[in-house]
Amino acid sequence: MIKLENISFDHCIKCTVCTIYCPVARVTHLYPGPKQSGPDTERLRIKNPQLLDISLKYCSNCKRCEIACPSDVKIADIIQTAKWRYSKKEFRIRDFMLSRTDLMGTFGTIFSPIVNFFTHLRIVKYFLDLVFQIPKGRTFPNYASMTFRKWFKEARKYQNKYLEKVVYFHGCYVNYNYPQLGKDVVKVLNALGKGVIITKEKCCGVPLIANGYIKKAQSHGRHNIGVLSRALPHEQARIVSASSSCSLALKHEYPNLLELDNTSIANNIAYITQYVLEEFEKGNIPNLKPLKYTVAYHSPCHLERMGNVAFTIELLRKIPGLTVKILHSECCGISGTYGFKNEYYAISQAVGSELFKIIEEANPDFVVTDCETCKWQIEMNTKYTVVHPISLLAEAIE
Amino acid sequence: MKFDCIIIGGGISGLTAGIRCVKEGLHTAIISSGMSALHFSSGSIDVLGYINNKVVYKPFEALDTLTGTIAQHPYAKCGKALIVEALQFFKQECETQNVYLFDNENLNHFHVTALGTLKPTYFSQRSVFNEDVYNRFKSMKKIVIVNFEGYRDFHPQLAAAQLSKHALFANCEIIAKSIDMPQLQDLTRHPHEYRSIDIARIFENEENVYRIADAIRLAAEGADFVVIPAFMGIHNFNQIHNILQSRTRLLIYEIPTLPPSILGLRIDNALKSRFAQLGGVYIAGDKVVRAESSNDVVQAVYTANHPENPLVAKFYILSTGSFFSGGMISEFNNMYEPVFKLKLHYEPERNKWYSPQFFYSNSHPFLEYGVVTDENLRPYDSKNNIIQNVYCSGAILAHYNPIREGCGSGVAISTAYKAANQIISLYKLMR
Repeated sequence: MIKLENISFDHCIKCTVCTIYCPVARVTHLYPGPKQSGPDTERLRIKNPQLLDISLKYCSNCKRCEIACPSDVKIADIIQTAKWRYSKKEFRIRDFMLSRTDLMGTFGTIFSPIVNFFTHLRIVKYFLDLVFQIPKGRTFPNYASMTFRKWFKEARKYQNKYLEKVVYFHGCYVNYNYPQLGKDVVKVLNALGKGVIITKEKCCGVPLIANGYIKKAQSHGRHNIGVLSRALPHEQARIVSASSSCSLALKHEYPNLLELDNTSIANNIAYITQYVLEEFEKGNIPNLKPLKYTVAYHSPCHLERMGNVAFTIELLRKIPGLTVKILHSECCGISGTYGFKNEYYAISQAVGSELFKIIEEANPDFVVTDCETCKWQIEMNTKYTVVHPISLLAEAIE
Repeated sequence: MKFDCIIIGGGISGLTAGIRCVKEGLHTAIISSGMSALHFSSGSIDVLGYINNKVVYKPFEALDTLTGTIAQHPYAKCGKALIVEALQFFKQECETQNVYLFDNENLNHFHVTALGTLKPTYFSQRSVFNEDVYNRFKSMKKIVIVNFEGYRDFHPQLAAAQLSKHALFANCEIIAKSIDMPQLQDLTRHPHEYRSIDIARIFENEENVYRIADAIRLAAEGADFVVIPAFMGIHNFNQIHNILQSRTRLLIYEIPTLPPSILGLRIDNALKSRFAQLGGVYIAGDKVVRAESSNDVVQAVYTANHPENPLVAKFYILSTGSFFSGGMISEFNNMYEPVFKLKLHYEPERNKWYSPQFFYSNSHPFLEYGVVTDENLRPYDSKNNIIQNVYCSGAILAHYNPIREGCGSGVAISTAYKAANQIISLYKLMR
């Protein structure tokens, strides 16, 4: 039976505009492009799953096709669903490890000095490349010695002095790899007079979806919707996240891809820069000292898809002294776990090359972006440090 | 978020208005849902191509005839002086991004279509029409139309056959050729899947351009003039055109293809980069779903991605286009404008919307349907009150037919310029 709610492919007029804006199709002909992998072959697949063209695996789910589509076809969703619904599932230990960010994080933080030491050794990289098909050229993010949640145990004590509270979905990266960003978020929210609540969250599910663990992603989703909605102090309270992909998952992937009912939190979720900008526009602006930097801003694909790029840009422009160069919107190529796999590594690097070039041309003091994986990719491929907009704001707050 | 001006619609009209506003210091945002009609366009700018089914050579003279017969025509509201100024503005802004538009000194020129017909237009990119093409046109003896083997969206034999019927080419030999580039096959898995964009990307590599130039030279031996489908690069088109011409020593000319249109894409890229360069905020992939107003003044608009967060501006420009882009919605016996529920000009009876023949010379009535505005391009709401801070531009406007009159992009640019001008002067008064 054809599910009638899932026929957005029927609105496709075959204009091929999505393929123009597909970063993967731009660099490799192995991928026939979103039009063909999405709406074109969907009508074949729903008749006979055997007609699956395996080339759709090259889709990195950046969702630029959906932004480009003049006919509102949910191209990337069609491709993602087809990937796990029709393709043969084979267990790969690498994909299992890459998608279990929380499991690996727990392990990684406990043994962080050892893990960080080993993942940077060339011999280990060759081993991972050979045995697990994880590209030897890829730099791994370091694990933190203390998780964000552990740090927050102390910080939690003084959150009660704030009348208004905001729920903060920190995500795995902040917890296990980069607690400083979480600390910056808490600093900014506190400076706005808001207390911070964190919940017993699980990984948002983005890496699980990317690696085909849909059931697991759904169970994480259900869990997160539950804990987040229960944590809301009142109906209008906000849930913020400083990760563009986590926000996209909570807001869009849960209902659209995982078919979960997120109505209890959907209108409360705000990507952090949107929330902070709203407060600024209400006149709630903390004292900001000028930052005399020239920064280049890179807009992550998933933030673009959420329609949130403008909020970040506007917020950056509110930091006194800061010169912001807006980079032409290009995909960095890493696409989460995509760039951690040998079979896509060359594509991932080729996709990013355009961005790396324009960063070099802009020659900023450093690069600003909202996404953790974009940060890894840019730091690995250029000489620039990458900073989150909220960390920049935290620095400006006196 | 708060802006001075919010433009709804990111096509040629919205971008022109946006560049004009942001250049005058207005904090400006454009909200765009999906890529615009430029991706389906010829990439040439038509000002006025036909009147009463006759080809127009002098568009600015013919303008008086047009506005004399259709008093409500958007051009009548703009006036000739403003149209001229708007077109110059557009040309200069494109030039800042290295897209050079050629005009034939206030006259129309012709560009060849993919079907081999000649179409009057006002501005073309230099690879489509330039002074060399103009000078060579009359004395041509041999034209070679070259296609890429495997490119399915263009049929050189068809174009050649049609073109040779034209009186201008009566003494001219027109040949169709295909070039096969086996050395490029490693770039593609399925050669039959070539679309214009795939080939344009092949051109972006300089080494390939030399190989292609050599292949064209072989195929087009003895030609005065070589015609290829428009895929001479997306970004480095000027350079690619120069290399091809100097290496082949041939005059090479691009003709627009089926979508995606590379010629249109170049204009789209140029306008977007210009808007961003000047500090404009372009919100892509989002759609305005409703507006809030009081006392005939729009206070805020809301988008699909942020249904709870108002986007506030002092002024709004509605450039959402016609039916295809969702600027207007047609139902079985009804039409409406979805954002502000504006007053529309249309025939309520469905069978009057279209002509019985698809290629009817007077085109289709629905193309003239659209938003009714006052002299200043301000629309009326459903209660027939003028909305004070909204202006309309481009294909959403009523009372003109872009196909019959050959004036789509000219109207888009002129009305955008006019709308922006009024906002700018009011904005300056408010300060």
